Amino acid sequence: MVISHFTALLLFALLVSVVFGVLSKDTPRDRAIYGAKVFGAFVGVALLLGWIMYPVPW
Amino acid sequence: MAKRTAAEAVAEKSDVQVGLLVRVLVAAWLIPGLGHFLLRRKGRALILFVSILSMFVLGVLMQGEFFALHSASYLRTLGFFGEMCVGVAMPAARFFGYAGGDPYFVTSDYGTAFLVAAGMLNALTVLDAYDIALGRKP
Repeated sequence: MVISHFTALLLFALLVSVVFGVLSKDTPRDRAIYGAKVFGAFVGVALLLGWIMYPVPW
Repeated sequence: MAKRTAAEAVAEKSDVQVGLLVRVLVAAWLIPGLGHFLLRRKGRALILFVSILSMFVLGVLMQGEFFALHSASYLRTLGFFGEMCVGVAMPAARFFGYAGGDPYFVTSDYGTAFLVAAGMLNALTVLDAYDIALGRKP
């Protein structure tokens, strides 16, 4: 299965966020909110680091 | 007939609890989510099972590498233990013909990361089942 870097990032973040949400919180609503926050943090930080590294020549 | 003392009753209950705890932990390790299922948290069990196994299957589809116990580097040996944390999925994949990935495949590095991450997530799942079994979490 050949997928792009970004797709791999999204899949990884999604699956990890779901598990983190289920394990960390006690109510379904809290789990969903926390999972969404973790997913957003994964993707956001990855994009941010990508842009920070963009000017680096190597 | 001698009556059971309170201490004997407590000791027997403690033995039963240890037995249950061991069964839950082993089950949680072998199949992701099974520990939660045994503790009657069926919704969580299903979500954990689907998520962790999906991550493992995606790792296999991306030709992720199976590490070996006796490797040239300590990191690769640690990677083996990380992948084994997912339970019977890794031996089952080998049994059904997965040769351990192709390190030269374009997405192999991502696949390996998915495989190890699936094991690590299952390790967290085992610890969560332990806490639930001890009554520390709902």
